[in-house]
Amino acid sequence: MLALPDYREQSPEVAARFSKINERPVLLSVRELEKAFGTNGSRHVVFDHVSVDIRRREFVTIIGPSGCGKSTFIRIAAGLDEATSGEMLLDGKPITGPSPDRGMVFQGYTLFPWRTVKENVMFGLEMRGKDSGTADAEARQWLDMVGLSRVENSYPHELSGGMKQRVAIARALANEPRILIMDEPFGALDALTRCKMQSYLLQIWKKVNVTILFITHDLDEAVYLSDRILVLGVNPGGVREIIENPVPRPRSVDQFLSPEFLAVKHRLDELIHAPSAEQEEDKIPVIKLTEVGDEVE
Amino acid sequence: MATRDWLGLKQDLPPRRNAVLTILSFVLPFALWAVVSYTPWIWHPLVRITDSGESEWMTEDMDVQRADFAKEVEKTKAAGVAPPQGYRVNPVYLPAPHNVAKAFVTAFKTPPRLPGEPWLHESLGHSIRTIVWGFLLSSLIGVPLGILCGTYRFFSKLQEPFVEFFRYLPAPAFGALCVAVLGIDDAPKVAIIVIGTFFQQVLVIGNTVRKVDPALIEAAQTLGARGWNLVRRVVIPAAITDIYTDMRILLGWAWTYLIVAEVVGTMSGITYFINQQARYRNFDNVYAAIFMIGIIGLSSDILLAAFGRVLFPWKRRLARGKSLIEWMREPGSAWRKEPPNPRAMAALAKA
Repeated sequence: MLALPDYREQSPEVAARFSKINERPVLLSVRELEKAFGTNGSRHVVFDHVSVDIRRREFVTIIGPSGCGKSTFIRIAAGLDEATSGEMLLDGKPITGPSPDRGMVFQGYTLFPWRTVKENVMFGLEMRGKDSGTADAEARQWLDMVGLSRVENSYPHELSGGMKQRVAIARALANEPRILIMDEPFGALDALTRCKMQSYLLQIWKKVNVTILFITHDLDEAVYLSDRILVLGVNPGGVREIIENPVPRPRSVDQFLSPEFLAVKHRLDELIHAPSAEQEEDKIPVIKLTEVGDEVE
Repeated sequence: MATRDWLGLKQDLPPRRNAVLTILSFVLPFALWAVVSYTPWIWHPLVRITDSGESEWMTEDMDVQRADFAKEVEKTKAAGVAPPQGYRVNPVYLPAPHNVAKAFVTAFKTPPRLPGEPWLHESLGHSIRTIVWGFLLSSLIGVPLGILCGTYRFFSKLQEPFVEFFRYLPAPAFGALCVAVLGIDDAPKVAIIVIGTFFQQVLVIGNTVRKVDPALIEAAQTLGARGWNLVRRVVIPAAITDIYTDMRILLGWAWTYLIVAEVVGTMSGITYFINQQARYRNFDNVYAAIFMIGIIGLSSDILLAAFGRVLFPWKRRLARGKSLIEWMREPGSAWRKEPPNPRAMAALAKA
């Protein structure tokens, strides 16, 4: 095992960046958020006491094992789900329902199959009452930015997974949202495409005035993309730790093996894969096979 | 050729085999019919008398049971007189394929026996008019109601339990009532088709709309769509291709109600034609008319499928294996000439 630096150690540049971020106004404020299912008899608390402030132009990733409620968390942020108690404020105003100021990108693409690529991007613009000429011109600009101008008249089913997700990003950004919420957006992509899409997303984020709230269960993805990483746990559910990512920007794929990258990743691994009491109990019973000819270990 | 290739569990067949099987699906029943019609020793339970001989009761061109014929032959032989002669035939209600094929032309050319009776093409036209009116009227209310039921729980709970009950009431049961209310002409016939179609339509379309991916609706909401816009711009377009397929299936069901509808009040349309021809014992015309219904049904479905491709360019295939023309037009089908790949052509030209 390599000797890794402390993941909390920040270079002066990174520390300066975080102090700059912390001076910015809070965009999304989460206060004592709780989500539970069922009634008092058989109440299942997904998470509680979740509090975090996401500042303007920050890239925050939520990571956690399955069942930790990370999807629920951002569905509440998107206004598609309701919290049991606590509140989320966007620019100081409580979130009550879905709204175009919170753009959303889903894992399943959710492009409208009956609309061409350009018409998909135009959807939000039309909903906001822009006339078709303006919507058309703006949609083209956004498609230009994600590099898909040449397929603007194709239908979604003609595109690859990575292209579909770029359209979905363009469609969400076309509304000029305050925050872009992404629910495991690259989860369905193959490893190579996923890697490209991550670098892509960082470039877009640099160019567009938007804050990003990102969900993943991929440790590399979390470390590569984010400023801060919010780790959720299960049993009991809630925030394990909020990590300030010491990997300096601009990010590149070369950093994947840098000491600070590995240090954060190692810490995430500890937090997420820490065996909880329950998991210890139900260990998978191992059936001893009588004739295992060739040992694998 | 291994059987495995033909009988792969839920495996697609190559286009050529699809074509072979599709043709066989028509050829086999017709072949069976031809075998029964043209092989004198298969079935043919009757004997047509060509020469009555000294038989007391047989006359020429009479069809008698084979057993009776044999008895008569024995009887005349025993009496020492000339036996009757004849050849084996099928009953008049099973005409041979070529007779029915001929009837396809002659049925249109034969003038009606009674003055004022419709020609065949008039009968067919009448039937198609009845269907179209019934289906249009039903759809006019059924489709919007189905969409509302599929979209809003409110309408679903308010309508569907009753509709579910009502659809079990057989449409023909309303025949007498329709005549009492609407008279004996076309109105009660249209009403029967409406009753037969409408309730299924609401339920089927309601179900189709309910199946719209909720993620699409959520995505639209986060893009700022709400209320009526959500229905008009997301729910309906997302369901429209499946609704279209539903409509094609429902139109097929409407045809089955047609025959019932046409005996209500004054008998009319193709049913009247079939009945009259059966009365005159022109069974070749009866078969021809029945097949015509099938041909009209299938070809209208193929036309609608082709029209669907024009309407919904984002759906390459509307309903898998639904009708002939669809797999004929699928890429790679033996029936379809692929246009040359333009990029490959350009590369070739450069080289």
